[in-house]
Amino acid sequence: MTEIVVTGMGAISSIGLTIAENLHSLKHEISGIKKAKHFKSHYSDSLVFGEIDQSDESLLNELGLEKGRGFTRTTLIAIKAFREAVANARLSPEDIASTRTAFISSSTVGGMCYTDDLYHDANMQGAPSEYVKHYEGSDHALQIVRLYGMKGITDVVNTACSSSANAIALGARLLETGKVDRVIAGGSDCLAKFTVNGFNSLRILSEEPCKPFDANREGLSLGEAAGYVVLERRADVSDTSKIQAVFSGFGICNDAFHPSATSDDARGPRMAMELALKRAKLKPEDIQYINAHGTGTPNNDVTESFAFSKLFDTVPHFSSTKSYVGHTLAAAGVLEAIYSIFSIQNREVYPSLRVEKPILEFPFRPTLNYTPGVAIRHVLSNSFGFGGNCTSLIFSACI
Amino acid sequence: MYIKDLYAISPQKTHDLSFENGEWQVLNEYIYKAVEPSYQDLIPNAQLRRMGKAVRMGIGVSLPILGRNPKPDGIIFGTANGGLEDCIKFLNQIVEYNEGTLTPTNFVQSTPNALAGQVALLSENQGYSMTHVNGSLAFESALLDASLYFDEYHGEEKNLLVGAVEEISDYNYNIDRLGERFKEELVPNVDLLSSGTKGSYCGEGSAQFYLSNNPENSLAEFKAFKQSSYLSENEIGEFVKSFLDEQKLDTTSIDCLLLGKNGDVSTDSWYEQVEQLFSDKPKVYFKKSVGEYRTVSAFASYLAVRLLNGQAGYLMENGATEKPRTVLIYNHFDAVRHSLILLQK
Amino acid sequence: MTTNREELIVEFKEHLIKYLNLLDLTPADIQNDVPLFGEELGLDSIDSVELIVLLDREYGIKIKNPTEGRQILVDVNTIVDYIIANRTK
Repeated sequence: MTEIVVTGMGAISSIGLTIAENLHSLKHEISGIKKAKHFKSHYSDSLVFGEIDQSDESLLNELGLEKGRGFTRTTLIAIKAFREAVANARLSPEDIASTRTAFISSSTVGGMCYTDDLYHDANMQGAPSEYVKHYEGSDHALQIVRLYGMKGITDVVNTACSSSANAIALGARLLETGKVDRVIAGGSDCLAKFTVNGFNSLRILSEEPCKPFDANREGLSLGEAAGYVVLERRADVSDTSKIQAVFSGFGICNDAFHPSATSDDARGPRMAMELALKRAKLKPEDIQYINAHGTGTPNNDVTESFAFSKLFDTVPHFSSTKSYVGHTLAAAGVLEAIYSIFSIQNREVYPSLRVEKPILEFPFRPTLNYTPGVAIRHVLSNSFGFGGNCTSLIFSACI
Repeated sequence: MYIKDLYAISPQKTHDLSFENGEWQVLNEYIYKAVEPSYQDLIPNAQLRRMGKAVRMGIGVSLPILGRNPKPDGIIFGTANGGLEDCIKFLNQIVEYNEGTLTPTNFVQSTPNALAGQVALLSENQGYSMTHVNGSLAFESALLDASLYFDEYHGEEKNLLVGAVEEISDYNYNIDRLGERFKEELVPNVDLLSSGTKGSYCGEGSAQFYLSNNPENSLAEFKAFKQSSYLSENEIGEFVKSFLDEQKLDTTSIDCLLLGKNGDVSTDSWYEQVEQLFSDKPKVYFKKSVGEYRTVSAFASYLAVRLLNGQAGYLMENGATEKPRTVLIYNHFDAVRHSLILLQK
Repeated sequence: MTTNREELIVEFKEHLIKYLNLLDLTPADIQNDVPLFGEELGLDSIDSVELIVLLDREYGIKIKNPTEGRQILVDVNTIVDYIIANRTK
């Protein structure tokens, strides 16, 4: 089977504006979940968020973009992470624009992140806002296509919280089938009243910073992030020094149980992990670390743990890095893929923060402290979403 | 990718095949609303009560197809906006109740993958599941996904449910109206292309296909497709020719051309460039039937399959051909995103 | 404001039908002592949140979470008793 490798990464989140900053925060157990500075909402004071510490104006300036042209925050953070990823993979402008380069992105809130402007336009309350042509979920990607003059295949997926994990899998399939020679895949989601109120209406937001896999967890914390990885066929990469990890496999399926909850027997999560292992030709015992979906909701963490208990004789190290950045929705899959690659490269496990009393129902517990010196060959990274979407990715060390 | 079955809900009476058999609806409205069948016997009330129009129409098309065919290995949808009405209803709640206690149903239903999730739920399908939201190329992206799937399972029989849905609500109508995408004056759809003004009229609907890599008893084949963004008007001819070259075809191989001309004088010239390449061929201007929306190429593909099977031939202009064997669809949105789809019998 | 229990039951059922969009049901179709979350009506966890919104908007009753709600949202009788005891409007 064609070997797919990661040759570049870019990320912006509440724990760092670059890849290097994200890594630093993970190593030092620095959480980005706190009171919001930039995001304005009724809940700005009462809830905590994984907010990117950079204003829209500062992002516009840094990226050299003109104000008033419909660049939403989703788009701005996407461009920033995209730019870092292609630079990291040392892609030339010609490489990026090539018909042989695909761009697969994802977002859930997409262009609808400025809730008040959308309300104004949808209810025709005066002259159109600058965003009137930029509300689509795909707008951020189309802006990047335009800015970089991309001529290849583009796509945007939205499978809720598993979106960018699916973008990565789709990218790998384009490479395996020879449709393109390189893929930039990932996603972007910024904080928005729309999603904050949506999750709040489902009563699954935690007032305190989320504590995934804690017995007394009260729900998730929302965050914002964008991340992209560059994927290539290993055989095509002449400069092997840029190879960061191998993308070994994925599993995608549907839980087919409930629009917004996971089945009690975790059939979907389990099947996704099994499919990923099968595709990677690995056995459960080959996995040294699981970057769990671990949202911190009562439902997810217990069903995901149940799936671990069924799949693994001995559950390996596992943690939820959502305890650092919150749930970044569409961006969660790619961000956690990047964090998983950090774990492989640096032989270390970043813990589930703030766990006081590990989940009671199972004998195993998440990794509770920064743990260096762990030889990690293969990482399983889970992403599950509303609509029953379940995706597991496997990244492996380069040997 | 072979098409084994298909069904559509559209502003024409496709739900009972009257449209295919020659009954054409003259529409004289700003919004071409879908003609929806009764869902009472199809969708359990417990589910139906929550569904927004996009999900309802989508399920209304999926379930009849699934009822007639073996359980597919995956479900792939394309939609630019999904349940936008639910989305804005939820947004209105946010503003009107000042982010107070809000009802979650609109939020859950507004996610574009709600349809794929509901179909999986109602048909108990745990297989591959994906929702593409690539704007006006969302259906093309779903086709790409399906083609990758069949490539991966080469030599093993696989089936997929693939389709698209788009709904029009007052809200997205307002947004696109502010974006100057619609005509200010009213012209009946029969005269859509000669209106001489900017903008078009808005449509909606869902068209879906039961696809297989086994050609047995198939109605037609999705032979090839190609997308591009930000082409200039003088590049479009070359875009079409190189696509045909890749398929080892030329303009003479195409029996019928389906064009997305929508009566917008500022962007119809792209279509005219392509039309010139096929001057003597029969053409179908499908937006006269269903209006403009972002996944309308799914309807065009639906219509193409009907034409390839000797139905709806009355829609061909510039001369008709009894039963075309090779059909090309060219569509663009805002002259920014362009798509070509080739179907064969 | 309805104070009569029988009238309140009908009013509540009308709200219930509206908020949960229970197609084809009339207040008479909903029995007072049949569990709302059982087989009969087929309501689920999202409906329980919708019910919490209903109680807030129509009767000014704040229920903090679905766990607390579970004891109250049993059937029409229990809910109406709770409304009578706790309503603020």
